Amino acid sequence: MISNIILATFTAPEDIRTGPCCLLWLLPLVAAIAIAYKATKLPTIKVGSFLKETVLLFASIIVFLAITALALQALGWLVTE
Amino acid sequence: MARQSRESHALFLLIVGLCAWVVPGGGYFLLKENKRATIVLITVVLAFLVGIYVGSIGIIDPVGAKLWYVAQIMASPAVAALGYLAAGGGYPVYGKPNEIGQIYTSVAGLLNLLCIVNSVYLAHLHRTESSGD
Repeated sequence: MISNIILATFTAPEDIRTGPCCLLWLLPLVAAIAIAYKATKLPTIKVGSFLKETVLLFASIIVFLAITALALQALGWLVTE
Repeated sequence: MARQSRESHALFLLIVGLCAWVVPGGGYFLLKENKRATIVLITVVLAFLVGIYVGSIGIIDPVGAKLWYVAQIMASPAVAALGYLAAGGGYPVYGKPNEIGQIYTSVAGLLNLLCIVNSVYLAHLHRTESSGD
C-alpha cells in the first residue's frame, strides 16, 4: 500500500505553471549546489564554519543571478524600446 | 615491490571512485570522512528525488535526451534501472515539469561527479601522505 503510494508519487509529473513563481524552484537547487560544493572544499567539516560558508556561497550565487537577470532585462528593454 | 604498491594504490583509487558512484558519498565513507559523506549523500539523493518527484521517472530518457541522461547517470548506476523502466514511453512528461525535473536530476548527477573526483583525489592524498611520498 505505502510502496504503491510512493511509486505513484514518482510516476506522475507535478502540475507546474509557467510564471514568475516557477523561478523559486531555483532556490533549493542553488542550496544543493552550495552544500555539496562546500562539503568537497572545506578541509574539515565543522557545523559553524560549514553553515557560514554555505550561506555565503548560496547568497553570492543568488546575488550574481539577480544581477545577471537585471542586466539581461535592461539589455532587452534597450533593444526593444 | 614498488610496482605492486602502485598497482594496489590504483586499485584502491578505483574502488573509492566506484563506491562514490554507486552510493553518493560512498567514497568518503571508505575514507572515514563520515560527516562529508552524510552531507553529500543527503544533498545528492534529495536533489535527485525532488527532480523525479517534479517530473516523474519519465524525465530519465536514455534515447530522446542522451546528454541529460549522461549527467543523470552520474548520480548512481541505479539511474540506468529507472531509465530502463521509463524507456517504453509509459511515463510521458512535457513542459515545465520535464524541464525542472531534468535540471534537478542532472545537477544531482554532476554534483556527484564532483564528489567522485574529490573523493578519489582525497584517497590519493591520504595514501601518499601515509606512505611519505
